[in-house]
Amino acid sequence: MSNVIVCFKWVKAEDDLRIDPATLAVDLSKAKGKISDYDRNAIEAARIASESAGSETIALTFGSNDAKTALKDALSRGPKQAFWVNDVSAENADGFVTANMLAAAIRKIGSYSLIVCGEGAADTYAHQVGPRIGALLDIPVISFVKEMRIEGSRLYAVRKLEDSLEQVEADLPAVVTVLPEINPAPIPGLKAVLEGGKKPVTEFKIQDLDLEDGDTSRKTDVVSFKGCSMSRKKILINEGDAKEKVTALVAALKKEGVL
Amino acid sequence: MSGEDKFDVIIIGAGPAGTACAYTLAKEGKNVLVIERGTAAGSKNVTGGRFYTYALDLVEPGLWEDAALERKVTHEQIMMMAGEQSITIDYSNPAFNKSGEMPQSFTILRAVFDEWFASKAEEQGAVIACGIKVDGLIEEAGRITGVKAGGDEMFADLVIAADGVNSMIARQAGLVPELSDKTIGVGVKEIIELPAKTIEERFHLKSGEGASLLMLGCTEGIHGGGFLYTNNESISLGCVFTPSEAASHGRQVHDIFQDLKMHPSIYPLIEGGKTVEYGAHLVREEGYRGIPKKLYRDGLMVIGEAAGFVLNIGYTIRGIDLAIVSGVAAARAVISGKNPGPAYFEELNNIKLLPSMKAVDGYFDLLEIHRLYETYPKVASGVFNKMYSISGETPVSIKKGIWGVLKDNKVSLWQLVKDGIRGYRSI
Ligand SMILES: Cc1cc2nc3c(=O)[nH]c(=O)nc-3n(C[C@H](O)[C@H](O)[C@H](O)COP(=O)(O)OP(=O)(O)OC[C@H]3O[C@@H](n4cnc5c(N)ncnc54)[C@H](O)[C@@H]3O)c2cc1C
Repeated sequence: MSNVIVCFKWVKAEDDLRIDPATLAVDLSKAKGKISDYDRNAIEAARIASESAGSETIALTFGSNDAKTALKDALSRGPKQAFWVNDVSAENADGFVTANMLAAAIRKIGSYSLIVCGEGAADTYAHQVGPRIGALLDIPVISFVKEMRIEGSRLYAVRKLEDSLEQVEADLPAVVTVLPEINPAPIPGLKAVLEGGKKPVTEFKIQDLDLEDGDTSRKTDVVSFKGCSMSRKKILINEGDAKEKVTALVAALKKEGVL
Repeated sequence: MSGEDKFDVIIIGAGPAGTACAYTLAKEGKNVLVIERGTAAGSKNVTGGRFYTYALDLVEPGLWEDAALERKVTHEQIMMMAGEQSITIDYSNPAFNKSGEMPQSFTILRAVFDEWFASKAEEQGAVIACGIKVDGLIEEAGRITGVKAGGDEMFADLVIAADGVNSMIARQAGLVPELSDKTIGVGVKEIIELPAKTIEERFHLKSGEGASLLMLGCTEGIHGGGFLYTNNESISLGCVFTPSEAASHGRQVHDIFQDLKMHPSIYPLIEGGKTVEYGAHLVREEGYRGIPKKLYRDGLMVIGEAAGFVLNIGYTIRGIDLAIVSGVAAARAVISGKNPGPAYFEELNNIKLLPSMKAVDGYFDLLEIHRLYETYPKVASGVFNKMYSISGETPVSIKKGIWGVLKDNKVSLWQLVKDGIRGYRSI
């Protein structure tokens, strides 16, 4: 079997976002980057899949200069090498542009049998990129994957739907978008981290990719980006004995419509 | 063991000590690995927040110009508090900040500074592995030969413990005893964000200038004190307490700290600010006499606060600069190629670290005077109260007033003389 390519996104850590309570403006300037949480599970899923099939895992990302740290991190999680489409436009690309970039990079990488993506990115959670890559490469897409297994050139997967599990099969090459529960994402150990720093990274610029006119123009525009700030009701129940307090609490919860 | 798994030096901890050591060694071509448990250097580190610049110049002349520093300290302040009253002394000396020269001291934020410093060591060729905790040392025939982390083992000619105040590594190696609750302080600290302009107005600073304020009498009599440093767009405010006393005091350290924030002399300085970080950390209090007898054994060296290199002398806390200096001394010892143990001590003396700490050793005795933390701030405020209370009534003479204040605070002449002599001797 040939390469397993795992796509990951470098996002802003949500804990570091600052929201101005008055204007709800979001300040990203102090936020550090991280590999999108679900993509960490995806990287491990790719590693396990390629290990079982005796092939190589390749990590791929579309990111700005900021994503440089991401590559080391990703490589310490198992992939043998990484490819990086480096362009600032990554910072506000939509699923359309991102999928175009990644698909073009995948074509350039050439041989692949499985493409693994996280089900959604930690920041936008748009579920766009995996399915779009599948469409661009004209190969099957299996989404919401919670289990998968490769036998020869066939992929067996379990999809987790709202109230049921669906077993599906497809011929490779294929794209899977995986749920975080597919497997844990272990924290890399010392040796893995040291090796990660030494593995090869290939950088592509947009000009290096075979793209068509319009491939780099977004299909969706973000009109506004605002924080969501919950104002608390600040109800304090501290009168009476325990029984009275509980009664008051239950009454208050009922009044709010939560019970 | 393969070549891949072996370094010249493994340093545990990417605090100022470990990073300074790594920088210096890597610059001389040594193959250095720094292992840091935080996800990034500085991510977990709590400090007060002022730094004496000379130390960076020892690492590399001019390095400070590019450093992630906040404001240069132009105002040194001491505040004595008694209840709602306070007395502040503000000292400024332009000679500390002559234009065109290296300013003497800066306020810093460790999360920013440590990460910058680690990136500089990386530029010199050091390998920094973050997000990994060293679990223990590897010992072979009485010699330390490497470290264990998770399931991995990594070997080196020399391991350097730069793992900070409560060094598990130095303890494990039998070099440093268990910390005693009488010789350490517990620090709590908040970083409170405010616009640069607001900070400059409230502290009467020009752009880029900063204040360092230490407080006495804000710990309800517990051995300790408060500190406040102005950063570019935030204020670091905290308090250090002796834990054994705090435990028997009856009130939570955190609550005493909250009261400090609400003090009429402090609240106006932080009003409207937003707390963005809260942290607690230990700090050694013993100074010179707290330095362990042995800082080296075959294959292992101890640097920074792990080795006791901190000075808490009431008007300032110095740990970051001393950590850096000790890291440079250790690196120089390694580079010299001499017998590392003696060479390290020689370098610690050459670089003036041990002599500087010895020179102020007596402060520990001064700070042991208990009346410093409540009684004397009260006495001083009492005297000022007498001086400044004007009501039209016939005042008592200042002399008489002072006696009255001493009596109110149950301080005898004998105690005053004794503390005076003790204080004088200790400095
Ligand atoms: C409240 C407070 C206020 C202070 N104020 C000041 C001040 O204003 N000015 C000043 O100069 N000093 C101040 N100090 C002292 C100063 O912060 C320390 O002395 C200094 O940080 C010591 O540096 P270090 O490099 O030795 O250790 P640290 O800065 O503590 O660094 C140790 C590093 O080792 C890492 N580590 C620990 N164990 C392991 C392990 N097992 N595996 C991997 N990594 C590990 C830690 O994560 C950490 O990054 C203050 C201290 C406190 C607590």
